[in-house]
Amino acid sequence: MLDIDDLKARFLNLEFDSKDFVIDPDNALTVARMSGETLPEFTDPTHPDFQATPAIIASLASGRRLPINFPSLGGIPMDGGKAVTCLAPVKPGSALNGRTHLHDIYTKSGRSGRMVFLVSRMEIRDSEGHHLATSDSHMVIRERPEA
Amino acid sequence: MSSVATIDDVEFGMELVPFEPNTSLESVRAFAKAVGWGLGGRFNDHEQARKEGLPGALVPGIMAMGFLTTMIHRWAPAAIVERIDTVFRAPLLADEPCSLAATVTDIDSHTAIVELDLSVKNSANETRVFGTARVRLPKG
Repeated sequence: MLDIDDLKARFLNLEFDSKDFVIDPDNALTVARMSGETLPEFTDPTHPDFQATPAIIASLASGRRLPINFPSLGGIPMDGGKAVTCLAPVKPGSALNGRTHLHDIYTKSGRSGRMVFLVSRMEIRDSEGHHLATSDSHMVIRERPEA
Repeated sequence: MSSVATIDDVEFGMELVPFEPNTSLESVRAFAKAVGWGLGGRFNDHEQARKEGLPGALVPGIMAMGFLTTMIHRWAPAAIVERIDTVFRAPLLADEPCSLAATVTDIDSHTAIVELDLSVKNSANETRVFGTARVRLPKG
């Protein structure tokens, strides 16, 4: 089994990806509507505060899922969950940049073995560098005994 | 109370009024396409999803996040969802109804912040997605 403390020491909080995004206003609108949203801030592109919902912010994906040289854990990664922290409105159609680092690594053990949880954190900023939102992706991997 | 205007309207243990989310395959397809996950059968086609070893086409986990955010906005239209954290415990299937729930678990009147516990259950009443939210409300 991999040494989790060693993985933390080597990989936590080191930026491993930077990617530019523009959220398409039509896509932001579709995501809001399909989510059942009714507030004009999310469903009316002409509203002065038209903004992206947390769900579409959570969909922004980094170019790499894990840092270069991160060891294989053997199992198939699963999407364990998402979290979004909103610091300021994210405007569809405007230039964004997401910088990603590994925020946490932890394990849970059960009868079927050890599960490794990897939390990638993307910090989303506008073109002036203002931090607008943070998106956490929880990746779960069932570790193979020989890994 | 169906709609909350300020922090003073919130009570500990209060349950948010749910709405019935649209989990139709058509809606799931549109959502998946809009977030760039429109290819493949996973969120598009029951038969194709089954060929990939899935029980059917799935509702994306972040769509469940969207339903829960909407429920908060319907409960308190002036609320700002500062953080929403969702755990995808097991898949939700497209074309199957699901139910939403949220309960107020903490209130800070000074900061006007409310904490909520969230869940999404399938038609068998099994929890598929759960989580928490931190919501800022106008002060009374």
